[in-house]
Amino acid sequence: MATIREKGYYHWDGRLEERRFPWWPITRTGIQLAFRKKWFKFVFAFGFSPAVVFLVLIYISERLEDFKSMFGGKERLITVNPKFFMDFLTNGFLVFIIVMVLVFAGAGLIADDLKHNSLQIYFARPLRKKDYLLGKMAVIFFFVLILTFVPALVLYVFKLVFAGSFRFVLEYPWLLLSIVGFAALMAVFFAFYTLLLSCLSKNSRYVMIIVFMIYLFSQVFYGIMQSIFRTPYMALFSIYENLLQAGAFLFAQKPPHAVPVVWSFLVLAAVCATSALVLTKKIRATEVIR
Amino acid sequence: MSIEVTNLSFRYGDIKALEGVSFKLGEGAVGLLGPNGAGKSTLLRILLGFLAPEKGEGTVLGYDIRREQAAIRRAVGYMPEDDCFIAGMDAVTFTAYFGELSGMPRQEAMKRAHEVLFYVGLEESRYRLLDTYSAGMKQRLKMAQALVHDPKLLFLDEPTSNLDPQGRIEVLQLIEDVASHKDIQVLISSHILADIETLCASVLILNKGKLAAEGRLEDLKAIDYSLFEVKVKGEDAAFRKDLEALRCRVDETEDRLIKIYMPAGMDRMEVFRAAARTGVQIRYFVKSQTKLEDLFAQVVGVD
Repeated sequence: MATIREKGYYHWDGRLEERRFPWWPITRTGIQLAFRKKWFKFVFAFGFSPAVVFLVLIYISERLEDFKSMFGGKERLITVNPKFFMDFLTNGFLVFIIVMVLVFAGAGLIADDLKHNSLQIYFARPLRKKDYLLGKMAVIFFFVLILTFVPALVLYVFKLVFAGSFRFVLEYPWLLLSIVGFAALMAVFFAFYTLLLSCLSKNSRYVMIIVFMIYLFSQVFYGIMQSIFRTPYMALFSIYENLLQAGAFLFAQKPPHAVPVVWSFLVLAAVCATSALVLTKKIRATEVIR
Repeated sequence: MSIEVTNLSFRYGDIKALEGVSFKLGEGAVGLLGPNGAGKSTLLRILLGFLAPEKGEGTVLGYDIRREQAAIRRAVGYMPEDDCFIAGMDAVTFTAYFGELSGMPRQEAMKRAHEVLFYVGLEESRYRLLDTYSAGMKQRLKMAQALVHDPKLLFLDEPTSNLDPQGRIEVLQLIEDVASHKDIQVLISSHILADIETLCASVLILNKGKLAAEGRLEDLKAIDYSLFEVKVKGEDAAFRKDLEALRCRVDETEDRLIKIYMPAGMDRMEVFRAAARTGVQIRYFVKSQTKLEDLFAQVVGVD
């Protein structure tokens, strides 16, 4: 270790500002740290593969003449409508990749701070609990939205570009709102879900496994219960099926399960509320043992 | 006054951590002393606004500890006792990050991070991952993050704990430099009395959540009591009992040196009278130079 050779401490002549978004440095740093992780870039890049496939489908649907010979002269091969966008945003592969991205980028967000006692230096700054949590949540918002909202928006724009008219906008004027709504729902739900699990342990590897396993297990559990009880209500046990139900509602489609959609919204809201409660209790500048 | 608190109380469930603590701190380095569980860390956490006091009021640099916590944290640097860092970061990014969170512009925070890392002696390892830092380096890093936003007041919680002797000397030099030459007031919480005696002109001593003593070290050592070291020939039990009846605190070391903490105003001849009464001969009688350890033992009642 170097000795204290340099005694040149100078006072800083600037002025400490009250930030409009005090959580922003936390978000920016969280995103940067995620990209430094092994395998993360690969998983993240892989998350755009559904968007590429759907983009090709839009191209084919609008340039059907060029592909007629390949598909036996069918007049209507692919229909780009709200269901098409819902299928993109709710396809199992995309949701799985989002969960994998959260495993790498989200699991350690709070767990690492707990492990290395950094909460006390965060809160020794002019930072409120909500700023800290918002900063961490925004990391997840970023990754979820960049894998859902941004590609969906690109697909929407390309649909208009390939069609060469605005007829699609006039036919489905609410579609953009549905895209925004569902992407926001996914971002909020996964932010609460990941942070809830991240604040429960100091070991981020353990949290990584739990984030992945709970998502997977909820789906497996739904499958088992469904085969035993033969009732669509078992879908409420599955994270993915609840997201499907919510997606169907937001895109004005028929829900895949004969369960009132409000139940799925309630399940997702319950996870968020539990998370908010636990986070409020767990995140504090100092460990208070009573 | 940089810190002023009145009747501060806090409890963890049924356990009283602080009870009716009142003091005013002026300029310079101040030591916060007390045995484990005395309430030192709790006091620092209340001053930073981490914990809300159950009773009492206080200000830090003129800001109210209940209402203006953000302003306090902007003006204060805090070096916690525990190791704290962010995995996967290097020292420059870490220090700049906390500068930015304190309200510095990003570029300024980065520039300043380099400066303070040079200052604390981490210039050669500032791009190394924090996960690979030794205990001494982590201690300096905590100092760097506490200094990055140029605080007016620095709270140091056990700054030399877990350090080897050389590392301890270096960190003490650093604190001494900050406290004496950089116009930054320092409040050091420690149970290492020698560190406090080296660095601080004033002390606060807490014991069982209450303020046991407060003031300039020199004044406290001089006014509150006189310390005499005595060796006697003969059975000293009655002699010690006699002195204790006169409100003296009496300790005996392993080599049978008797330390007599005599209350202010008491005549030293009382020692000789007590010896005469109890039939012992005084063979050695020296007025001892009082040390912080003696003061601590006197007010806290432990060796």
